[in-house]
Amino acid sequence: MTEASTPAPDDGRVEVTIDGRVTRAPRGQLVLDAAAAVGVHIPIYCAHPKMDPVAVCRMCLVQVEKMPKLQPACATYVSEGMVVQTQTVPVAKAREGVLEFLLLNHPLDCPVCDRGGECDLQDFTLRYGPETSRMPITDKVHFDKAVPLSDKIELDQERCILCWRCTRYYEEITGEKEIVLQERGVHTSVATFDSRPLRSAFQGNLPEICPVGALTHRQYRFVARPWDLQRARSVCPECSYGCNINIDSREYEVKRFASRDNPLVDDMWLCDRGRYSAPRWNRTDRVRRPVVRAQGGDQEVSAQNAVREAGRRLREVRDQHGANAIGVIGSVECTNEEAWLLQRLAREAIGTTHLDHQLDPFPGLSPEEHALGIAEIEDCSAVVVLGARPEQQAPVLTLRLFKAQRKRGTAVHRLPVDVDGATLRGITGGRLVGVIADEVDRPQAAHVAQLLAGGNTEVRRLTVTRGVNGRGCKDLGLLPNLLPGYRPAPGAGRCGTEILEATGAGQVRALVIMGSHPWAAAAGVLLTGALNAADLVVAIETQPGPVAQAATVLIPGHTHVEKAGTVTNLEGRVQRIRQALPPATTVPTELRVLSMLAAELGCERWPAETVAVDREVSATLPAYAVAGNGGRTRWPVPVP
Amino acid sequence: MMLAARTRAEIEHTRRRYPHPRSAIMPSLWAVQHELGWLPPEAMAEVAELLGLAPSEVQAVATFYSMYFKRPPGRHHILVCVNAACALRGADETAAHIEQRLGCPSGTTTADGMFTWESTIECLGGCGGAPMMQVDHHFEEHLTPERIDAILARVAAQPADHRDWPPARVPNPPASTTPPPPTAEGPPSAGAAG
Amino acid sequence: MAEYKLLTKDIGVEGLQTLPVYERRGGYQALRAALRDRTPDEIVEQVKISGLRGRGGAGFPTGTKWSFLPRDVFPRYLCINADESEPGCFKDRYLIDENPHQLIEGIVIAAYALQVKHAFLYIRGEYHDQRLLLERCVEEARAAGYIGERILGSDFGCDVIVHGGAGAYICGEETALIDSLEGFRGQPRLKPPFPAVKGLYGKPTVVNNVETLSNLPHILSRGGEWFKAIGTERSTGTRVWCCSGHIERPGCYEMELGRPIRELFEEHCGGMWRGRSLKAFQPGGGSMQVLLPDHLDLPLDMDAVMRAGSSLGAGAMMFMDETTCLVNVSMRLVDFYHHESCGKCAPCREGTYFESQLMHRLEAGVATLDELDTLKDICANMDGKCFCPLGDTATWFVMSAYRHFRHEFEAHCGAGGCPVAREHRPLPAGAAR
Ligand SMILES: Cc1cc2nc3c(=O)[nH]c(=O)nc-3n(C[C@H](O)[C@H](O)[C@H](O)COP(=O)(O)O)c2cc1C
Ligand code: SF4
Ligand code: FES
Repeated sequence: MTEASTPAPDDGRVEVTIDGRVTRAPRGQLVLDAAAAVGVHIPIYCAHPKMDPVAVCRMCLVQVEKMPKLQPACATYVSEGMVVQTQTVPVAKAREGVLEFLLLNHPLDCPVCDRGGECDLQDFTLRYGPETSRMPITDKVHFDKAVPLSDKIELDQERCILCWRCTRYYEEITGEKEIVLQERGVHTSVATFDSRPLRSAFQGNLPEICPVGALTHRQYRFVARPWDLQRARSVCPECSYGCNINIDSREYEVKRFASRDNPLVDDMWLCDRGRYSAPRWNRTDRVRRPVVRAQGGDQEVSAQNAVREAGRRLREVRDQHGANAIGVIGSVECTNEEAWLLQRLAREAIGTTHLDHQLDPFPGLSPEEHALGIAEIEDCSAVVVLGARPEQQAPVLTLRLFKAQRKRGTAVHRLPVDVDGATLRGITGGRLVGVIADEVDRPQAAHVAQLLAGGNTEVRRLTVTRGVNGRGCKDLGLLPNLLPGYRPAPGAGRCGTEILEATGAGQVRALVIMGSHPWAAAAGVLLTGALNAADLVVAIETQPGPVAQAATVLIPGHTHVEKAGTVTNLEGRVQRIRQALPPATTVPTELRVLSMLAAELGCERWPAETVAVDREVSATLPAYAVAGNGGRTRWPVPVP
Repeated sequence: MMLAARTRAEIEHTRRRYPHPRSAIMPSLWAVQHELGWLPPEAMAEVAELLGLAPSEVQAVATFYSMYFKRPPGRHHILVCVNAACALRGADETAAHIEQRLGCPSGTTTADGMFTWESTIECLGGCGGAPMMQVDHHFEEHLTPERIDAILARVAAQPADHRDWPPARVPNPPASTTPPPPTAEGPPSAGAAG
Repeated sequence: MAEYKLLTKDIGVEGLQTLPVYERRGGYQALRAALRDRTPDEIVEQVKISGLRGRGGAGFPTGTKWSFLPRDVFPRYLCINADESEPGCFKDRYLIDENPHQLIEGIVIAAYALQVKHAFLYIRGEYHDQRLLLERCVEEARAAGYIGERILGSDFGCDVIVHGGAGAYICGEETALIDSLEGFRGQPRLKPPFPAVKGLYGKPTVVNNVETLSNLPHILSRGGEWFKAIGTERSTGTRVWCCSGHIERPGCYEMELGRPIRELFEEHCGGMWRGRSLKAFQPGGGSMQVLLPDHLDLPLDMDAVMRAGSSLGAGAMMFMDETTCLVNVSMRLVDFYHHESCGKCAPCREGTYFESQLMHRLEAGVATLDELDTLKDICANMDGKCFCPLGDTATWFVMSAYRHFRHEFEAHCGAGGCPVAREHRPLPAGAAR
C-alpha cells in the first residue's frame, strides 16, 4: 500500500472492493452491476437493466465505506477505492425491513397467483425476509383485484409493490405513457387514464417486467406453474425481425412465448402479435399421415413409400416433359437448412430452374440494402422510415427507434414512401443516416438513400424482409434468379407467381410445394388453377388447405415449434430455433425427407441433419458459420 | 370540448409563460377547477390536448395533489387543520363544532350542497392563529364557536361562482401576530389530548 | 433586541404591501445599488461573507450553494421555495403577507447575482391569497421597472413567475419542487445530480427559501461584514420564529440567532398560557425531535440545538403544557407524514402507514407493549433508508418523544384510552385524524 499513490494508467476503470473481492470496474458502472460481475447478488425490485435507475424500492441498499447512510446499489456508481459491503448486519436488517414494508399491504394469494414460482417477492422473502408479519391482516389497505387493463393484461393492484417498472416502461421504452401513477402515498396505484383500456402493441412485455404478480397475461391466467414448464430457446416465428424467445410448453402444448434478451435484436422486448401468437402452434387441424392419391382413392402410406412414390412420379414427369416442367416453391417459413436442401433438390436432383420461396419476383439484392444493423440505428443521427409498412411488418423496430430517439437524440422521420426531394433536403445529415423500408419499397428506398448521401454523410439502409426466414431463403438462393450468396443463376427460371401461371397454362406439369400457407391465400385462384391443371403435386404441408387437398403425394411437415435449425433475420443475423414440442407426426424431418427424395432422384448421400447441412452451407457461404455463435454476428451481404 | 373559451384562453396564456408546456399543467388545472369546481376526466383530456400531452400525464398530476377535486364539492369548501399545533389549541373541538353545525361528517357535503368540509392533518400554516380553518382558501383564525357560526352564516350568504372563486376577501379581525382574544375559558386546554 | 429587527422592522407600517410605501421605507434601494455598483460575483461574495445560511430547514450556507453553479452554463434558474408546509411553520406566509416587496427585491438581487433570467416562485396552493398578493406585487414591480427587461436601465433583465402548488408537503423538498414545477407529480429526484448542476428543465438551478431571500436586501444595503456580526459565528443574522402551542402570544417573532430560547419563550411568547408549566417543546417544525424545559437555556444556534439532539429546522417552536399527551402529538405528526408521503419509496410509503396504524392503536389504549417494540423497530427500518428526508424525519419526533416520555407511551398500552387525557380532562377519548 505504501507506493499506492502512483496513479494506475487510466483504462477507464476504477478499483472497487465488494465484500472483500477486489475488482476493476468500468467507470460509470452501477455498484449493482459491478457486484454481479464478481458474483455478488444484490436483490432488486425497481432496478431494471433496460431502464434508468429510480431507487424507489430500497431493496438494494448496501453499505459503502465513508457514507453515513446505506446506499442504493442500483443508483450508486462505482468510484476509485470504493469499498462496498453487502453482507453486514445493517444491510440484512434493511432488507428485512424493506420486505416487511412491501408485504404489509400485499395479499396472501400466492397459491393462486400466476407469478408463483417466478416471483421476486417470494424469492427474496425466503432469502432475506422476515419470518412473520407484524401487521394485523385486518389493517391492510385494499385495492381492486383482477382489473382487466385490456383484452391482454390484467392488473391486481393489491399485489403491486410500486416499483415503477411498468410506468417507466411506457415512459422510457415505448414512449406511450399509457400507464401512470395516480394518487399518492400508500394510496398510490398504477392506472390508465380514466380507466380506459391499453392500446399499445407492446403490452405483453408488462407481465415480464413486473417483479411480482400484479400484471399478468390474461392468456396465461391459471395456465401453468413455471416449474412444470419446459423451455426451448427459439426465435419468434411472426416476422423477420428475429426477436429471441423462450417457448414454454407443457404436456405437448405451447403455453407462452417469453422474451429472451438479445441486446442486438429485440433488446428483450416482444410485440404482442408475436408473443400472443403462441396458441396458434397448438392447432389440432394438422396433416399427420402421408397420403398418396391414386385412382382407386386416397391411401395412407409410410413416409418411405410416400417419398418413393413422389420420386417415381417426378422422374416420370421429368422423363416425359423435361426437368423444367417441374416447379418448386418453398416458403419464408423454411429454415435455412430446409431452404438449402430445397434449392439443391430443385437445381441438382430435379434440374429445374423454376424455384422460389414466395410469389413476387425478387430482382436482386445489393449489399447496401441490408447494411444497417438493428442496433446501429442507435448510432444514426437521423433515420428515415418510409411509409407505415416497416413498423407494421416488424413492430419491435418501433421500440428501437424510440430508444435511439431518447438515448442518442436520433431524429426519426416517418415519411411517405413517395416523399419528395424538398422534404428530404430538409433533413440535416450527420455522420450516419439510416433509411428503413419494406422489401416491396426497395426502389424508393434506394432513391431516398441516394438523395440523402453526400458530404460526410454515410447512408445505410435496412430492408424489412417478409416472413421469419425470408431473408435466409434469399441468402441461400431459394430463388429462380440467384444462387446461394446472390450469385446470378444461369438461365434464370420462373418466380413463384410465374410457376403457378405456367402450371395453369400447362407448361409446368408438376409442382413440389413445401409449406404453402404463408402465400396460399394470396395466390387465390391462380393456385387453384395450377393445382387443377398439374399432373403431379408433391406437397410437404403442416396444415390442411388447398395444396394438401390437391396433393398427389402429401407428406406431413413440421411447424416452427416442432423443428430445429437456423433462421436469418432482416439484418442478416443467423439465429437458432429449437424444437419445443414433439411433432404432430411420426414422419421424419423435412431435411431427411428432402435428402430421401434426392436419393430417389439419383442423388445419394445428402446430409439430413441440421449440423451436417449447416456445415455444407458454411462451406459455400462462410458467413453462415456464425450461426453457432448465438446470433451475435450478422453476416454482411457479399458484394456480387 | 367542455371548457369555456375563457378557460381555454387562460390555459394557452399560461402555457407560454414556461419553457416547457408541461409546466402549465398545474395552473391549467386550477383554471379548470375555477370554472367547473372540480376536474372531470374530459376536462383533463382537454387540458392534455391543449398542452400537447397524454391525458394520463395530466391525470397523474391531478391526483397527486390534495387540492384538486376529483368529485364535485359543495358551493363552499372548508378545511379545518387538526395537526399538532392547532390541536394543542382546540382543533378537535373546532372540527366537532363544525360537524355538528353542518350535520355531516368530515369529507362530505351538506345535504343542501352548500358546504363541503373536511378536517385535514396537513398543516395549513396558520399555527400562530390556531385553531384555524380555511374557507374557500381564506384563512380564518382564532376560531371560537361564535366566530365559526358567524363565518358560516356570512359565507352561506355569498354566491359561489367558481369563476371568480374565491370571493372577495373579508379581513380577519386579528392579524397573525396578535394574541388571541383573552377569553376566560378559551378553547379546552389539553387540546392535543384525544 | 430592537436593533436586530431586519426582516420585520417595517412590519406594521400601513400599506407596506404596496410599492410606494415599501419604496418610501427605503425599498429597492439595495437592488438599485447592486445593479449600479456591483458585479454578480461581488454579490455572491458578500453573501458568502455574511455567513447567511438557508432558512428552509437544512441551513446550508447560501453563498456556498450559489457558487456550486457551473460557470458558463445558461440558462440557469432560480426557484423560490414558498411551499412552507412544515407543521408549525408560518413565517414565510407572514413575510409574504406583511412585506412581499422585500421578498421580491431579494429575488431580483439573487437573480442578478446568479445571472438568472427566470425566477419561479413556488407557493403552496393553500396560500391562495398570498399568491394573488404576490402576483399583484410582481406586476407592480414590473411596472416600476424592477422586473422585466433592462431592469433600472441596466443590462440585466429577469422575470418572476408565480406558480401555485396544490397541496403537497413534499413539494417543499427542492427536487420535488422542481419536478412539480416541471409539471410532474411532485416527487423527489435522485441526487446526484444536484439541482445546482442539473435542476429545473435540466439546467443549473438554485432553490432558496422565502426568508433566506428576504435577507438579501439587508445584507446588500449594509454589507456582508455587518450581517456577519449579528448572531453567532456560524449562525449569523436573525430568524423569524414561528411560535405556537400553549403560549400566551402565538405568532412570528424575529430574533437574533444565539439568544437563549428562553428569551423568545418568555419575552415574546409571554410564557405558558394560564399559568401552566412547560412540559416539552419542539424546535424547528414537525420533523424535529422534542426537547425538554431544561433545553430552554440553549441558544438559538443551529449547532447548539443540533448537539442537544434536535434542530432549528425551519424556525418553528411549538410549546406544550403539562396537560399535553405526547402520544397524541406524536400520532398527529405521524399522521401528517403518512398523509404527505409521496409514495415514491417503499419504507416511507408503507412505513408511515404502519406507524400511523400503530399510533392510533396506542393512543386509543389498545396497543400492547410488543407493539411499542414494533413501532421502534419499524422506525429504525425507515430512518436512513428512505429516498428523501421526509421518510426519515417521519420517525424523529415520535422516537424522541418515546425516549423522553417512555412511561407515557407505556402507560397507554392496554389502558383502554388516553391516560393523560383521563387525568387532565375527564372526557372519553376520541382520537381525531
Ligand atoms: C420533506 C422536505 C420538505 C421541505 N419543505 C420545505 C419548505 O416547505 N420550504 C422550504 O423553504 N424548504 C423546504 N425544504 C428544504 C428544501 O429542500 C431546501 O433545502 C430549501 O428550500 C433550500 O432553501 P434555503 O437554502 O434557502 O434554505 C424541505 C425539505 C424536505 C426534505
Ligand atoms: S421518503 Fe420516499 S415516499 Fe417519502 S416523501 Fe421521500 S421519496 Fe416520497
Ligand atoms: S433496486 Fe435499488 S432501490 Fe429498487
